[in-house]
Amino acid sequence: MNLATLGVKNVARHKGRTALTAIGIAVAIVLFMLMRTVVLSWTGAVDASAKDRIATRHKVTFIMQLPKRYVEDIGNMPGVTKVNGVPQVTWANWFGAKDPNRPDDFFGTIATDPATFLSVYDEIIVDPAQATAWKQDRRGALVGDSLAKKFGWKVGDKVVLQGTIFPGNWEFNIDGIYTAERRTVDRSTLWFHWDYLNESPVFKPKDMVGWIITRVDEPGQSAAISKKIDAMFDERDTQTVTMSEKALNQSFLGFFSAILKAVDVVTFAILVIIVLILGNTIAMGVRERTAEYGCLRAIGFRGSHLAAFVVGESVTIGLLGGLLGLGISWLLVNQALGPFIEENMGGILPHFRIPPELALVGLGIAMLLALLAAVWPAYRASRLKVVDALRTVE
Amino acid sequence: MIPLRYNVRSLLVRRTTSLATLIGVALVVFVLATALMLTAGIDKTLAASGSSDHVVVLRKGSDAEMASSIETSALSMVLAGPGVKKDSAGKPIGSGEIVTVILGDKADGSGGVSNVLVRGVADNVMELRPEAHVIEGRPARPGSDEVIIGRAIRGRFKGMDLGQHFDLKKNRPLTVVGVFEDGGSSFESEVWADVETVRSSFGREGTVTSATVTLDSPSKHDAFKLAVEQDKRLGLEVLRETTYYEKQSEATSMLMAVLGWVISVFFIIAAVIGAFITMNTAVAHRKREVGTLRAIGFSRRAILMSFTLECIVLAMTGAAIGVVLASLMSFVRFSVINWASWSEIVFTFQMTPGIVVTSVVVGGMTGLLGGIIPAFRASRMRPIDALRA
Repeated sequence: MNLATLGVKNVARHKGRTALTAIGIAVAIVLFMLMRTVVLSWTGAVDASAKDRIATRHKVTFIMQLPKRYVEDIGNMPGVTKVNGVPQVTWANWFGAKDPNRPDDFFGTIATDPATFLSVYDEIIVDPAQATAWKQDRRGALVGDSLAKKFGWKVGDKVVLQGTIFPGNWEFNIDGIYTAERRTVDRSTLWFHWDYLNESPVFKPKDMVGWIITRVDEPGQSAAISKKIDAMFDERDTQTVTMSEKALNQSFLGFFSAILKAVDVVTFAILVIIVLILGNTIAMGVRERTAEYGCLRAIGFRGSHLAAFVVGESVTIGLLGGLLGLGISWLLVNQALGPFIEENMGGILPHFRIPPELALVGLGIAMLLALLAAVWPAYRASRLKVVDALRTVE
Repeated sequence: MIPLRYNVRSLLVRRTTSLATLIGVALVVFVLATALMLTAGIDKTLAASGSSDHVVVLRKGSDAEMASSIETSALSMVLAGPGVKKDSAGKPIGSGEIVTVILGDKADGSGGVSNVLVRGVADNVMELRPEAHVIEGRPARPGSDEVIIGRAIRGRFKGMDLGQHFDLKKNRPLTVVGVFEDGGSSFESEVWADVETVRSSFGREGTVTSATVTLDSPSKHDAFKLAVEQDKRLGLEVLRETTYYEKQSEATSMLMAVLGWVISVFFIIAAVIGAFITMNTAVAHRKREVGTLRAIGFSRRAILMSFTLECIVLAMTGAAIGVVLASLMSFVRFSVINWASWSEIVFTFQMTPGIVVTSVVVGGMTGLLGGIIPAFRASRMRPIDALRA
């Protein structure tokens, strides 16, 4: 039996108190994991954005569109990826629609060019036969698997949606259901033919697109190419702003920066709570064992040994609480909340799971804070004078 | 009853553990109160934005002003509807507005961007929204490229301050000539420009996005709604302004409240456990004291009361500290996205008497829950055993 195990044995002396402390820490760790998962899920889309894609939009406002001929102009620029001579440029236009039977369930509806869309967004996985069917069907729609699941749509279904920006009833054929290779693509969007939208009398002016997405050969060149694109259109009737997909996602994230900051504050408060609970328990243990420590000192143990006992005990409880917290978080986040959030809030939190690194961080933090909580009690234990300690009456 | 002074002194003897529990409860109450203050701030802003005698007219099927579009010809029929309030000159108090958003560069140097809501307003906007008034600078001249900005977004974006300019279109700078206040409503997060200026810059010829109309009284709503919605050719929808703004931020407000309570519940559990550990140990250490108290005649109930009170006093002190800290948050501005327009609305944290009460009660409950079992244990001790310990 070495010194460390002796310290660990102390853990079992007050079983009830140890258990409670561990539960207290576990509760805090669960909240910590939950908060960090929210943040990581939010920022995950930004970090995983494609480095070789850039997006061009109206300079002043996203509610105004760009002339469709800008697509060809961008396609003719050097540096834009070409596959079999076809420039990898696609475009999109926000549609805005709801299912008249379920008006409160929001989902994204975007008009695009199916021919180029799937090759520019090469992380989107769809059955080749379904992809071909979608490309050929003017009223065809490609829907994400979580959206299809939520509304119970199957390939071959006809759905009628109500336009919120472009009024009227719009009929779509569900031609395909997609998933995504990268877990950062929103799998609850309905993509359909821009041509279908453009030929409708309510879409005016004609031949306009919301934004243009371009793939470039050299990710390192994307900033330079973006600048060239904006310069090219600067003298035209509509000015543009072009940014990397990452910058675009980041600007979107900017909307939530205040919430993310609030989450950070809460996370810090959680860490303080852990130190308080643990420190409290350890301090009590040390006070109770003052006489005992006196004995140990009298028979030759040094102050540093006593400090080691205290630290060992604290870290063990931290580890217990951390493990318990991880288990509960796994059940709560990955088993219960995750699937629900991905299905219902996939637009904002596309991948709501605890990353393995975070689990390690959580455990590490529990132990690190346990160390921190033990500093003061350990110091006190190590500085005890034998005479005083032995004289202590409980 | 055992004097409270005994409890206070006991707490002071165990300074470290008392302090740890105190800080724990203070943190819990701080987080809870802050979340509630934010929800209250959102509610207050919304309440200030909607006026009960106002109605918003949108195209049927569109959820928000920005997605809506009304022909100018239909507008005159709306303004001629029953129950519309007239000004002294007999003109209806109401107007078509064009709501749009522009991309603004944040002025805080973060390099971030965000959307700013720009409202093209008619000349009679101050008559339509009598709460609004310019607090600095001057009103914009009608038909010009001058704008006034709400005080909440002042200085948050580049070009958004008195005397500064920003572009609505290339070579078409708008000048900020005034800053307005509107009782803390969400209008304070908007730019008000001339409706014609916005129309020509945004190619909205012949249409407005929505109309806001003042009625003679809130009770005229039903008649007006019926008259306007009856005409199927117009294809319009009438909403009370209060309902409209409630719907706009319902989701955000809900999210904040739910998030706040979920986080608080976790914190409360942790704090209850902390308080329980502290009190439990305190009771174990004070066996002899309890025995003495019992021996000199204090009843079981007095012991139970005394120990429970001790924990509640400790927790309430923590709660008070938490509330004081939280009230400092009233100086912080918090911006949340408005899903309907993808623009930011700035909120403040709002302390209300209700929040103070809730916080202190939650703090007290934490103390009660943590202290009751140890106190019960203390009261069950037999004096003989307790004294022998």
